[in-house]
Amino acid sequence: MKKPFSRLSTPYIVWLFILALIPIVVMLFLSVTTTQGLSLDGLTFNSSFYQAFFERSITTAFFNSIYYAILTTVISLLLGYLVAYTVFRSKFKNKFLVLAIFILPMWSNLLLRTESLGNLMNENNLITDILSKLLNTNVSFPVIKGSGLAVVIGLVLTYLPFMILPIYTALEKIDYSLEEAALDLGLTDLQKFMKVVLPLSLKGVATGSILVFLPAMSGFAIPEILGSGNILLIGNIIEQSFRYMDYNLGSLLSIMVLLIIFLGIFVVAKVDKEGEMLL
Amino acid sequence: MTHYPKATLESYGYKDYKKTKKFFTVLRKVFVVVIVVSLYIPILMLLLQSVNSSPNINEFGHFTLDWYTNMFDVRSLKNAIINTLLTSVISTLLATVIATFMAVGIYALPKQIRQRVMLLNNIPILNADIVTGISLMLIFSLLLPLFPYIFGPVTLIMAHLFFTIPYVVLSILPKLKEMDTNLMDAALDLGIKPYKALIKVIVPAISAGIFSGMLLALTMSIDDFVISYYTTGNGFDNLSIWIYGSIGRKSLTPSVYAFSTLLTLMTLLSLTLYQVFIKKDKKGKIK
Repeated sequence: MKKPFSRLSTPYIVWLFILALIPIVVMLFLSVTTTQGLSLDGLTFNSSFYQAFFERSITTAFFNSIYYAILTTVISLLLGYLVAYTVFRSKFKNKFLVLAIFILPMWSNLLLRTESLGNLMNENNLITDILSKLLNTNVSFPVIKGSGLAVVIGLVLTYLPFMILPIYTALEKIDYSLEEAALDLGLTDLQKFMKVVLPLSLKGVATGSILVFLPAMSGFAIPEILGSGNILLIGNIIEQSFRYMDYNLGSLLSIMVLLIIFLGIFVVAKVDKEGEMLL
Repeated sequence: MTHYPKATLESYGYKDYKKTKKFFTVLRKVFVVVIVVSLYIPILMLLLQSVNSSPNINEFGHFTLDWYTNMFDVRSLKNAIINTLLTSVISTLLATVIATFMAVGIYALPKQIRQRVMLLNNIPILNADIVTGISLMLIFSLLLPLFPYIFGPVTLIMAHLFFTIPYVVLSILPKLKEMDTNLMDAALDLGIKPYKALIKVIVPAISAGIFSGMLLALTMSIDDFVISYYTTGNGFDNLSIWIYGSIGRKSLTPSVYAFSTLLTLMTLLSLTLYQVFIKKDKKGKIK
């Protein structure tokens, strides 16, 4: 079946080249020039574009992005591994349904979920109102909205499913006879986990970490809504610069983000030669 | 005769971990329950707000289903919902058909080239939404001199195709690998032309992958915000863009909560259907 169909993929490869690679060239061009939006009138080459990196707000946003993304990845990794391992070890017959419980929240609108989560982080909200009416006293929650904690909670709750699934898939692929062998050779459960199960599931951990890290680093809606504008990530700066028609700065920052993403793609390609692990 | 003490397992170095193990198992399960509950808090809030008579999200009036019945009274919301459903359904169907052919084509490539194509295929999946959105916007802007009215439904559907096809390809490829190659050879031996065999033999054999890819594409497409935000034209909002605008203006009507709750229930239903489909698929296989 090999030969007759290989031509079918050509249009897709062309399409990917046009839509994925040409914009990078355009962005590279925009990042070293000064233009009015996209029009080329009054085009000048901009030799001082690197100044952007010394602007305080941009470097802060960049470090914020990396910091929050790493924090989110580590927390989701710990929680996600715990969940995946527990589901994997559970005695439920239909594990797919159990996993579906963790994916289901992902299917309602991200912005609405974030907004209602943000609502809960206010002093007075729907829940405090109901509680106050039931208990006849004034109940109020601590204000978290607008702080870094709120952003981290939002990011973890949003991207945790992306961590659970790949780890679970990796765990499921482990041959049980390996675990039996480890126990026969006298390892305790903890040693077996550390020496057999954990190393064999690292592929899933790598995929999950990338799937959480990249969107957590570059998103702008969650920090915007939960951070109330106090916390700017690089995505927010890119969004702002395109909104105010500063295509040059926006392109430059997008290129920076792209570099990090390519690093991620490179890691995935190293760990997974066939390129099918992402699902 | 002297009485030597009887050797126990412990004196050989055996340690009884049963109690600690049990403790950790229970602790783990408690943790998982806490995680599930916190994942569902936002969903429960949506549900609660959708039956709240007060349009003010900070106070609860009384139970009502009004927001469900007058869901389409706000015209901009109604348009946004229609736009979302229309663009998502069209782009999902297109993406499924295109990706099926592309996956077969990619699978037929020699191994080395296939790996490179998969690398390219991963770019839209791993790329930051905002970078993808801006990239596509730049490309479409370059086309503006040729097609002045290109921004709108057309660009939105193209953008959705761009980021959903890779997912469908990824979910079909493993099924192609599992497929019995003899099936295709037999069909060709029986004198069918290759492309007819593609429709009659390969597509049915990989239908489970196609279906799950389609479901994935639909969920990605229906919920997308960032890419749509950059690639749609003025005045053509999908639901996410509409919600983002309303959050900014603090004018979110509770009808949108009602719609979202309904949509969640519908996805629950389609998930159950998907389960039935998978079971059927397994029964059909000879083991």
